[in-house]
Amino acid sequence: MEEVFLPITIVGILFVGLPWVIMHYITRWKTAATITGEDEKLLDELYYTARQLEERLLTVERIIAADNPDFRPLSASRQEQSPFDISRRN
Amino acid sequence: MSVRTKFYLDKQNAKFLGVCSGLADYTGIEAIWLRVGMVFLAFATSGTSVFIYFLIAWLAPNKPAGLYQGPEEEKFWQGVRSNPSRSTAQVRSTFRDIDRRLADIEMYYTSRNTRLADEIDSLR
Repeated sequence: MEEVFLPITIVGILFVGLPWVIMHYITRWKTAATITGEDEKLLDELYYTARQLEERLLTVERIIAADNPDFRPLSASRQEQSPFDISRRN
Repeated sequence: MSVRTKFYLDKQNAKFLGVCSGLADYTGIEAIWLRVGMVFLAFATSGTSVFIYFLIAWLAPNKPAGLYQGPEEEKFWQGVRSNPSRSTAQVRSTFRDIDRRLADIEMYYTSRNTRLADEIDSLR
């Protein structure tokens, strides 16, 4: 009896179970959120604009704070990012 | 087309052909764990993964120089590849932050002008 069942289970696992699992994860991966090329371009531009705006705003805030000592920009209360970057070390 | 969400071989940080470092660059996982996993898989699958490795090395393009301006941008695009909606929310929150700070500046100037006007009124 065992000689019959063992090959059947092995074949079942190998040719049904394994592809099933693989297909399951492939479909999962395909339905996961992805972005198209246009979305990517848009996001790239938005990200770039946001960074530019932030830099400009920082400059403006610094100028205003220098002119008016009683002005305290919102960003000053936050943690200032250190210019030291450990990945750029020699 | 989609230049920044493609898979590239990372020859600059490569140990052998740059597949593992490319995967590390793509996913943000440390390259060493991918390499250890690769070696482990090479034994576990008795050579199939080595074949796949060479196939990827042959098919995937090299990473173009100057793709990102700085590590911050690289990290941002790593986030986009793994979860675009979260990165979009991140950009939106940056814009909101800018808006809030601008509103703060605007408030400061407008309220100061009213104070100035009050002083002028009191001098009359």
